[in-house]
Amino acid sequence: MKEKSQEHGAKYWKSLDDLSETPAFKEWVDKEFPSGASELEGVGRRNFMKIMAASFGLAGLGMTGCRRPKQHILPYAQQPENLIPGVANFYCSSVPGMTANIPVIVESHQGRPTKIEGNPSYKPFGGATSTYNQASILDLYDPDRATTSSYNKSKITAYQVKDFLLSLKETSLESKGNGLAVLAEPSASPSREALKKAFKTRYPEATWTEYTPSQFLNTSKAAKAIYGFSVKNSVDFSKVNRILSIDSDFLSEGDDALAKSRGFTAKRKILNKDEVSKMNRLYSVESNLTSTGSMADHRLRLSVSQMPAFIAKLGIEIIRLAKVGSELESTLSAIASTCEIEDNWIKECAVDLYASKGHSVILLGDHLSTEAQALGFYLNQILSAPLALLEDKVSAPEITNLANSIKAGSVKTLIVLGGNPIFNAPADLEWNKLYNKIDTTIHLSYSFNETSAESDYHIAQSHYLETWSDGRTPEGHLVPVQPLIEPLFDTFDELSILSSLVHDTSKENYAIVKDTFANLGGSDFNQFLKEGILESISYARSSATVNIPALAELLKKASMEKVQLGLNNLELRFIPSFHAFDGRFANNGWLMECPDPITKLTWDNALLISPRLAKELESEYGVSIFASSTAMNEGSDFFKSVKGELQKNSSVFKRGKESAVIAQIEVGGKHLDIPIHVLPGLANYTVVLPYGMGRNLVGRVGENVGINTYGLRTSEGMGFITGAKLKTTEKRFYLANTQEHWSMEGRAIVREGNVDYYKKNPDFVNQMGVESHAPKNYGYKDDASLSDKSQNQYRGNSAYVHPKFNEPDPNVKVWKDKEELYPANQQWGMTIDLNTCTGCSACVVACQSENNIPIVGKDQVLRGREMHWIRLDRYFSAEKYTPSEIPEDVQVSFMGMTCAHCENAPCESVCPVNATVHDKEGLNTMAYNRCVGTRYCANNCPYKVRRFNFFDWNKREIGEFYKGPLGPVEEPELEKMRANPDVTVRMRGVMEKCTYCVQRIQAAKITQKSIAGASSETAVPDGTIKTACQQVCPNDSITFGDISDPKSEVSKMKASDRNYSVLGYLNVRPRTTYLARLRNPNKLMPDYYKKPYAYKAYKDRYGSSQSTSGHDAHDSHGDHSHSHSESHNDESHPAH
Amino acid sequence: MSSDTTDCSIDSAKQALLDKVAPATLKDQNLVTNNREFSWVTNKICKIVESNTPNWWWVCMAVALVTASFTLMGLIWLVSTGVGVWGLANPINWGWAIVNFVFWIGIGHAGTLISAILCLLKQGWRTSINRAAEAMTIFAVVCAGIFPLFHVGRVWFAWWLFPLPNANLIWPQFRSPLEWDVFAVSTYGTVSVLFWYMGMIPDLGILRDRAVQRLTAGIYEETSKLRESIARGTDVFRKYFYGVLAMGWRNAGNHWRNYEMAYLLLAGLSTPLVLSVHTIVSFDFAVAVLPGWHTTIFPPFFVAGAIFSGFGMVLTLMLPLRALYGLHDLITQRHIDNMCKICLGTGSIVGYAYIMEFFIAWYGANPYESFAFINRAFGQYSWAYYIMFSCNVFTPQLFWFKKVRQNAALVWIMSILINVGMWFERFVITVTSLANDFLPSSWGYYSPTIVDIFTFAGTFGLFSTLFLMFLRFLPLMPIGEIKFIMPQADPHGHSDDDGKESE
Repeated sequence: MKEKSQEHGAKYWKSLDDLSETPAFKEWVDKEFPSGASELEGVGRRNFMKIMAASFGLAGLGMTGCRRPKQHILPYAQQPENLIPGVANFYCSSVPGMTANIPVIVESHQGRPTKIEGNPSYKPFGGATSTYNQASILDLYDPDRATTSSYNKSKITAYQVKDFLLSLKETSLESKGNGLAVLAEPSASPSREALKKAFKTRYPEATWTEYTPSQFLNTSKAAKAIYGFSVKNSVDFSKVNRILSIDSDFLSEGDDALAKSRGFTAKRKILNKDEVSKMNRLYSVESNLTSTGSMADHRLRLSVSQMPAFIAKLGIEIIRLAKVGSELESTLSAIASTCEIEDNWIKECAVDLYASKGHSVILLGDHLSTEAQALGFYLNQILSAPLALLEDKVSAPEITNLANSIKAGSVKTLIVLGGNPIFNAPADLEWNKLYNKIDTTIHLSYSFNETSAESDYHIAQSHYLETWSDGRTPEGHLVPVQPLIEPLFDTFDELSILSSLVHDTSKENYAIVKDTFANLGGSDFNQFLKEGILESISYARSSATVNIPALAELLKKASMEKVQLGLNNLELRFIPSFHAFDGRFANNGWLMECPDPITKLTWDNALLISPRLAKELESEYGVSIFASSTAMNEGSDFFKSVKGELQKNSSVFKRGKESAVIAQIEVGGKHLDIPIHVLPGLANYTVVLPYGMGRNLVGRVGENVGINTYGLRTSEGMGFITGAKLKTTEKRFYLANTQEHWSMEGRAIVREGNVDYYKKNPDFVNQMGVESHAPKNYGYKDDASLSDKSQNQYRGNSAYVHPKFNEPDPNVKVWKDKEELYPANQQWGMTIDLNTCTGCSACVVACQSENNIPIVGKDQVLRGREMHWIRLDRYFSAEKYTPSEIPEDVQVSFMGMTCAHCENAPCESVCPVNATVHDKEGLNTMAYNRCVGTRYCANNCPYKVRRFNFFDWNKREIGEFYKGPLGPVEEPELEKMRANPDVTVRMRGVMEKCTYCVQRIQAAKITQKSIAGASSETAVPDGTIKTACQQVCPNDSITFGDISDPKSEVSKMKASDRNYSVLGYLNVRPRTTYLARLRNPNKLMPDYYKKPYAYKAYKDRYGSSQSTSGHDAHDSHGDHSHSHSESHNDESHPAH
Repeated sequence: MSSDTTDCSIDSAKQALLDKVAPATLKDQNLVTNNREFSWVTNKICKIVESNTPNWWWVCMAVALVTASFTLMGLIWLVSTGVGVWGLANPINWGWAIVNFVFWIGIGHAGTLISAILCLLKQGWRTSINRAAEAMTIFAVVCAGIFPLFHVGRVWFAWWLFPLPNANLIWPQFRSPLEWDVFAVSTYGTVSVLFWYMGMIPDLGILRDRAVQRLTAGIYEETSKLRESIARGTDVFRKYFYGVLAMGWRNAGNHWRNYEMAYLLLAGLSTPLVLSVHTIVSFDFAVAVLPGWHTTIFPPFFVAGAIFSGFGMVLTLMLPLRALYGLHDLITQRHIDNMCKICLGTGSIVGYAYIMEFFIAWYGANPYESFAFINRAFGQYSWAYYIMFSCNVFTPQLFWFKKVRQNAALVWIMSILINVGMWFERFVITVTSLANDFLPSSWGYYSPTIVDIFTFAGTFGLFSTLFLMFLRFLPLMPIGEIKFIMPQADPHGHSDDDGKESE
């Protein structure tokens, strides 16, 4: 500096400090250089060489063999419209159904549809979809789907198919369609309806038949008889307080099940005791144990053969109550004479239904007889049930008619549009033989199935996400089927085939659909596509009343014969498989692996039998069905004295695997060997056989899965058949069951209470379990608000303290000195309402679809390695718990169990590598990259919700896992396309679990930030984020949101006194809490229960000692007042 | 051994009384019997290494190597394919691997206990068994180390458990007991190796010197030229091999002084490790929230169990060696008695712990906890519990009887039963608690696969291979230390009983 100052010329200084040459300024000048620059001065040549040599050496040592796989990213030459890489697009469409379409919104990433979600514009479904809808996207990327059409099993091009259709059209037009027949599946598409009409006019002599194995026509037959035309019911559940369901699984069966389920559970959303009065009551009479039965407040097991007598008896009671004349009574009492049910049950049920006249409804299973259906219509009319009769246009002849004409030789050409009649047509038609009698058979199907193999022409079908079509909702609103992607292969669809047969000039599907839209009265097609629904049109509502003489006439035809069921005369009931439905989803891995809500079976179908029948079979044939009893389930005094805590309650599990006895069932001279599964809640002598599994020409997934049971199903016994015999064999079969243990063991896991009890003891939920005796989790801060608790994590005397959530990170300088402006992090939490969960399992598949969860196959499920992030626990509880027996009458409790994002997560403290850590928003996150796979976290998780990648599930095919590097190691290209790019695909050796759909949270935050701009309105508004499970749930059982915001929906739910933490005493403080289940039994019913069985089991085992020990003043008090009121009731109602 | 009890502080009245009583001089049996000389000891031990390889050694080695290859094959399949080749599944995410880890680590405990704690307590009888026991410890730790390393899902990232700087800029999580394990086991392994090796230095010097002596004196009594040159060549190898290992040991006085000091320091250093390692291993369980694991009794209970199993294993190894090499004068009945008594003591502690667990489960009144223990004893794994209980609690009780302790064959069988029982103890703790925990819906059952079984069986092969190598190449017993405890070593050693012995 001195030298410089001696220089000539003007001297410039930067500041006064410069001029005065303060040490601080000099230091500042020094520091101004980049930090590395000054340090470099200290490095000599030798040191530099040393360091470089060492690092080169290390690089050569460690890294030569490891290169990241080379991947090419090519930019678009022409950017498609509306496409931003990394940002998903959403389009409205609908999933075609038999009677109605399900409106959906499909998420698409760079042209690949990846996720289906319900369209919330359609209010009755509220954005919900079913398990099948969710899984249908997997079929699009099924590597086993038909990729080309074929003629006599050799491949043909799409042009050849078109040529063939043209020639078929020419020849058929000449013969006016003589000898031409179409066998289609029922469809809700008005465009197809229009084409069908056109087909009939162009080919007047051709026949059009519709068939699907799960459809029954008894309801429409009954309606025709008593109304004169076919109708279907549409129940307005918002007005219903009392429901009697007679063998109707209305919560899960049918294309409108979502609406029914949603409507039904809406009245079960009870936040506090004052809302209790809105709770509806469900009586369920059923032969099988279904989701509906599990929701019932009163459930009666009854064989299907007894149903008509039951309905008749009920009819008598209601007619008497309503005093509407006695002309039917004699007929009804003749039918009712065979009824075996306690009078009181029916009587009190009828009284209760009638007392809520105008607000009660009777729902009948579709498989029940025409007479029963007709009587059902009439009883609903007497009860003024809040239901609308929608005109229904079922007019196609039944498949038996088609069979007859084939037999008669009048069918020369048969076009089978979809479906798989060779597999699933009634067995007595012997469709296989009939089919080969036909000169030319053409089969349109999505995969090359049993029917395709027998057909001359097989035409590959497009997925509904690849084609234009339309459909109608249950009320008749119009919905589009909009393609999300060009057909991946040269495929056809129903509309294009029909169109090529009826139109002279080729007409694109798009034009057909647009025309239909215009013809139905739509105006703005683009708006229609945008909204995904046209509500201005709907089916006509009928105000017809029952023609009573016609009803009487019909009832006289009813069979009065009494069927005496027993071991040698069993009733065989057919139900569609939960996994494959009627067989169409047999190659869908998600559905195969999704446990059946009731049996918890995956990958198999089994014959369901009642515990009583199982015992009788044991004594009859000497083959033990239940695992041998041990000291633990003898019920000895010693074990009673230690509270009889049993691990081995009676079941068919051996070493953790369900070792099912194979039984031979014989009916109508046909035999079938099938494993049996003992299920409580079945009618004693009704055995339930799911159909749809056991396809023999199916893809890799469905191969050798399940047993084909269609061979026993005849056109006379599509719903059920009596006269079956069952004998056990010595053979055994492993069923892949995901839940071994059916009892809750009296633990306060699913907490239940009766409505009356809840009204008196609104806090009964939190007086259960160990936590009611343990110190408060939050200590002296226990009265703090949820918001306070969630943000200021009080951890007792723990050394480990969470950082404050409303402070910026230390490295965020922008907020320096402005902490007060820093927006507090939102705190995510969830509630699951056990009162509205019907166990439908849609959440399981939705989660699988959203989060790229792999399937693992039957073998791995048997080992207990299923990967589902949500587990739907199903517990049975009985009036009296005897571990040595599976009870006959049970109450079912469901509990969706997934990562609870504990605030004091036990998984985090044991991970040695920081792979699972908490974030500032309260999420327990998994850093897959960090995970080395010690699995300690999974061990320490009290909820057992962590899932480990034991193999490379994603890269290897099922069955190839054990081959390691010797097997193929790449996922088929087609399967890769379905993955959600927002979610990491996990490799082997890492742990995974529910993330609260963190990708959705982040997306919402980004969107919100861009909305907020410079303002601090960065908090995501409540309701914006919906986790995949929450989104799909028809009953809104799952609520997700910010618990630090007292106004959020989830905070309101958590404020409910039904809210509790499972295993709360562990002080893990789960962010997912549960709302206890309520049951609403009728005191006058003979099977009235004072406490739900689950609660009773808890009280019997853990409740009594606690109240005597005096810890539990509240509880014992509550119990006392409760029993007092009950004894009062006992006196006033001698009905007990 | 000393019986001169004259004490001036005792007042005369008492002295008179004492004189009257004339207490009998109770003498322990000598630790080296048959009045052997120092040279006999040196020869006996060095000859094990220097003599021709016995045929049984080759047979054993072949069997051991084949068995060890099972582990290798099992691990190759495991790493190349995935942890799924084992029988693990939800909810039992730790199976045989962790059981085996705890089992082997437990076995390792006897070595350090014998060398460190017994050294500090000046228990002379440790000398004949401590070297082999320490070797056993190290080999057991090697076998144990395989399991936690390979049981992780991505073994190639297992080094993330060490606090090494890495690209992910994340440090290990020190709250995790697995992290504590890493330090506990590696410290234990390191200190054990140091202790073992340091103790061996004087003996390595002897082996070196003997080879040098033979070479310079040229005394080879071989039958042929070829054999002689082989023997000579071997001695040249020994000269350098043991020479390097002996690190310049010259038997000098100051060498011995430094050696003794270092040995004492290492003994002091190892002593807490005996207690800490298994305490920390027990934390793997005790720190978890799981009923059946979350138990404060675990640290002392585990340590007792480890010593129990360790001594069981020492007996299992030493009894055959004693017979094979004719070491009856060095490993005497007194040694066997002492080891049996330690098994009896620790086995009783373990039995007490089993019972105490039940008491606490009942007393704690936590339904999950009480279930876990009742389920252990009477649930689906009750068979394992019965094996555990009978082997660990009933078997050692037989050691109350002198006749049992004197029957070497019986002791050997019982020592094996002890280790079977201790393996099952770890199995019962690990598996039953995981299989049936809080929510009955996720209860499961664990069965090992063939890979589990082979990998575990192979570790016995690995252990045997290492131990056989040890027998062949390293001194089985500390020659110098044995000499210390011989009567001849005590210049003031006197008297009646020892009088017969010369010098």
